[in-house]
Amino acid sequence: MTLNMKLKRLFVILFIVLLGTAISGCAHVPVWERGHLAKPQMAIDPYPLQNHILLHNYSSREAAASTHSSGTGGGCGCY
Amino acid sequence: MTKTKNKPKTGSCRTVSSIFANKTVAARQQQKISVTISGSSKTLQALTSAAVVLPGLLLPTVQAADGDHINFQFSRYQEGKRNLFGLPNSQNPIRADVLHGSGLFTLTDRAKFSFGYTQDIWSGATPITTTPLAANPYSPILKNTPEGVAVSGASPLLNPDNVFLDRDLNFIRSDTGEQDLRSVLVLSSASPETRNQANFRLSYEWDEAEINAGAGFSLERDYRSSFGSLGGRLDFNQKLTSVKFGVGYTSSSISAILDHDAAPYLTKTAFDSQIERREDGAEILRAERQDWAANLGLTQVLTKYALIDANLGYTYGNGYLENPYKAVTTIFVDPDVLNNGLTTPVLGDVRALLEQRPNQRSQWAFSTKYIQHVNPLDAALHLNYRFSTDDWGINTNTFSANWIQPLPGGWTLTPRIRYYSQDAADFYQPYLITQQNFSTQAVDNLGREVWVDSNNPEIEYVRDENFNLLDSEGNIVNVSDVQPKTIPFDAGKLPDDFSSDHRLAGFGALSGGVTLRKQFARGITLEAGFEYYTRASSLKLGSDGGNSFADFDYYVANAALILNLENMRLSGSSGHTHQHAHSGKNSTSANMHHHSQPAGLMFAHMLDDAGEFMLGYRFMYSRMAGSMLHGTSAVSDPAIVNQGCGTENLCTFRPADMDMRMHMLDIMYAPTRWLNLMLMPRFMDMEMNLRELDGRLPAPAEEHKHFGGHATGVIGDTLIVSLFKLYEKTGHRLHAGLGISAPTGKSDLQFRRVFKIDGGSVHFGMQLGSGTWDFVPSLTYTGDYNRWSWGAQVSGVKRMENRNESGYRLGDQFQATSWGGYGLTRWLTASVRGVYTLQDRIHGDFNSFNARIGPMDFPKNYGGQFWNVGFGVNAVIPDGRFAGHHFGFEWLQPVHTDVNGFQLDRKGALTASWSYRF
Repeated sequence: MTLNMKLKRLFVILFIVLLGTAISGCAHVPVWERGHLAKPQMAIDPYPLQNHILLHNYSSREAAASTHSSGTGGGCGCY
Repeated sequence: MTKTKNKPKTGSCRTVSSIFANKTVAARQQQKISVTISGSSKTLQALTSAAVVLPGLLLPTVQAADGDHINFQFSRYQEGKRNLFGLPNSQNPIRADVLHGSGLFTLTDRAKFSFGYTQDIWSGATPITTTPLAANPYSPILKNTPEGVAVSGASPLLNPDNVFLDRDLNFIRSDTGEQDLRSVLVLSSASPETRNQANFRLSYEWDEAEINAGAGFSLERDYRSSFGSLGGRLDFNQKLTSVKFGVGYTSSSISAILDHDAAPYLTKTAFDSQIERREDGAEILRAERQDWAANLGLTQVLTKYALIDANLGYTYGNGYLENPYKAVTTIFVDPDVLNNGLTTPVLGDVRALLEQRPNQRSQWAFSTKYIQHVNPLDAALHLNYRFSTDDWGINTNTFSANWIQPLPGGWTLTPRIRYYSQDAADFYQPYLITQQNFSTQAVDNLGREVWVDSNNPEIEYVRDENFNLLDSEGNIVNVSDVQPKTIPFDAGKLPDDFSSDHRLAGFGALSGGVTLRKQFARGITLEAGFEYYTRASSLKLGSDGGNSFADFDYYVANAALILNLENMRLSGSSGHTHQHAHSGKNSTSANMHHHSQPAGLMFAHMLDDAGEFMLGYRFMYSRMAGSMLHGTSAVSDPAIVNQGCGTENLCTFRPADMDMRMHMLDIMYAPTRWLNLMLMPRFMDMEMNLRELDGRLPAPAEEHKHFGGHATGVIGDTLIVSLFKLYEKTGHRLHAGLGISAPTGKSDLQFRRVFKIDGGSVHFGMQLGSGTWDFVPSLTYTGDYNRWSWGAQVSGVKRMENRNESGYRLGDQFQATSWGGYGLTRWLTASVRGVYTLQDRIHGDFNSFNARIGPMDFPKNYGGQFWNVGFGVNAVIPDGRFAGHHFGFEWLQPVHTDVNGFQLDRKGALTASWSYRF
């Protein structure tokens, strides 16, 4: 349990640090230089349909928590 | 059925990042420009703003998911067989077919609506518990073959014979006397089960923010849940930074019919208060659970080639978090025998207890994704890492990498790899050993055995040393219906929580796959993916999980069709101009003519122009219920019992109702003006409830029990048709259709084995396909004059094979129909039609075992003559954002039915259709 607590604290800290660096620093990329970023292969979820299926399978076979469980579905997951 | 701890991801919505936000702006600007160019005066303003988003404008409009779009997806999950250590495993592994449709529509400039519908159908063998192999938890299924008796499979036993243990509680094989510490999964198979889920989401967008709200529900026979969510996004720093957040709530109610094969052997005392016993003997476990979830995310552009996305998630579950279909094998060892000072093996009493998990769970997850553009190849590398932890003691690590490689010609190839590892839950145990008796004989304070009246356990007797039964007053009584009073085991000596669900064990998993995507002209995208996954206890990070008996593998294949409505409109507009020019002043009536055919009619119209496409979707629902018919008249139960099942059998059951739902895609292309090609994949699911017939023979002890009915799905037969224009003159058209139906639907579905009896083939009418290649010809005449339209069609189905693989063939079919329509407005048409159908009986019979419990199991009770009247409306949206979309509805009302043999009456059929030409 204590290990768990430590790990939890660790990644909360990690998250805050990341958030901080992100907002404060980073190279400034002007809007007209974002062409590559706007390409479909650079989308955060380039295959939402398939990803949805894969995540469904993982979550029915593994015990991990998700970072996107708030906006999704219910149901039992069955198999 | 097995329940997951995590809610599955079934929403169609996606997280919106700053990049998408940029694109949305780009898209909006793009619209602005087209408006400007086509005649507005604000050209300068548009061009100025266009300059700001120029990179976005230069992009191909590939983002199918960004603008209005419609998706269809089919996927198959197929597990490999589990390792039973040399025992013959005759049970089919789990297979799940998932059908998904979703869409996103822009309501106003800033508001969007999306919806999704998902249907899963699954069947196969799933583990109920884990048992020491030394306990021999499978008994061989013997079959008589011409060569003698052979082992054809293994039947699982939840309470196998006793197991031997040495004095250190290690298991010992009964045959060799050697120590055997291996465990084995005890599998039980399930007949097909269906899940339906619907969800929707509304979002509203500002220039630098978005809020959204979503809700939905998921329905299964034994598990219902509804959910809602709220979320949003804020952009900062000129959209280089986006913060996302969301909260969600899910409420689920479980009413699990405990496996009627397993229930008698399960120990359920811990859940007694939640179990309801139905009259027919079924035991239903009722429970509730709630889940709350929250997440916070950040997307940050790092350079012009890289960005990072990080998310933190928290989930709290409360209530019944168990899986009602999982048990833990518990070995009861008598402590008196164990400690009697001898060294000989002791006997363990093997039992299965329903699993017990904590009634709450908090989970934390952190995930991050780094995306790098690889300039020389124009590819993108996605690297993901996720860590999660919970108060059940499960820490997990996931690493994955995708390489997205765009190729010439609109192709994109994406290989990917994933590694996952998890620790075991604190309370995971493959099995339990407890030093107490499962039950002990009660004794009074004088050491005499206590017995009770079998009919009234309140009445107690004691048995004295002379084996006389004494009542409470010490008088000798002479009663025969008595049984020993037993004291159950002490649950306090077991752990508070225990589960042998291997998903809570420590293990690792490696998976890899590839996705191929092809972007066609006119906004059509096809996607196909494959993934292979292997789970292994030895792949766990750090140390072996020690549960290799639960290792398995699976593959997932999926195919998706994505229609980008905006692109279809853009390319469609020129086509429409062409069509108008071509058909001149008749264009309006021609348009009406195209869309006035009743929705339930197939192959009834042709595309006008070479190169034209049509995409359509058709939903059909039909219901049978009410009386059983013999010929044209209703018959009573006794008549069905005696005549419905032939001379050798008597019927015991009849169908009470049957529902069939079919989803059909309609893809049509006109290579020339006189030839159209059509491809129509069909997906269906059927459900039938049975009723025991009055006056049937009494049930034998081993009868196949029917709890809750049956369901089947999901792939049906696929139609491939070409239409030929034969004659065309103003107001009159004639065309012929030549088609084949490919046997992609299964015709060998089987019920699961129950009570050591094979379930046998599922009723003919519930099989998903004909199993034969069929010839499907049709001849259609259509006419129109002013507001009136009319037509007639004859069509047929000729089975081109004598028998399918299951040994039978469906009857041939002939259909004639005629209709008339009237244009109520420019865009709305009403129609009436008459339909006559002649269908032959089934020929041949199942070549495998069939339980033959009712009329639906006999080939002679299929086919007949059917008369229907159809009432329909058709709408072609004249303008606005859905301009050109065609919607149709038709209700078919049975007016006369003359069945072959004994069949269930018909209640009607509904067809709803959507189509779009471009």
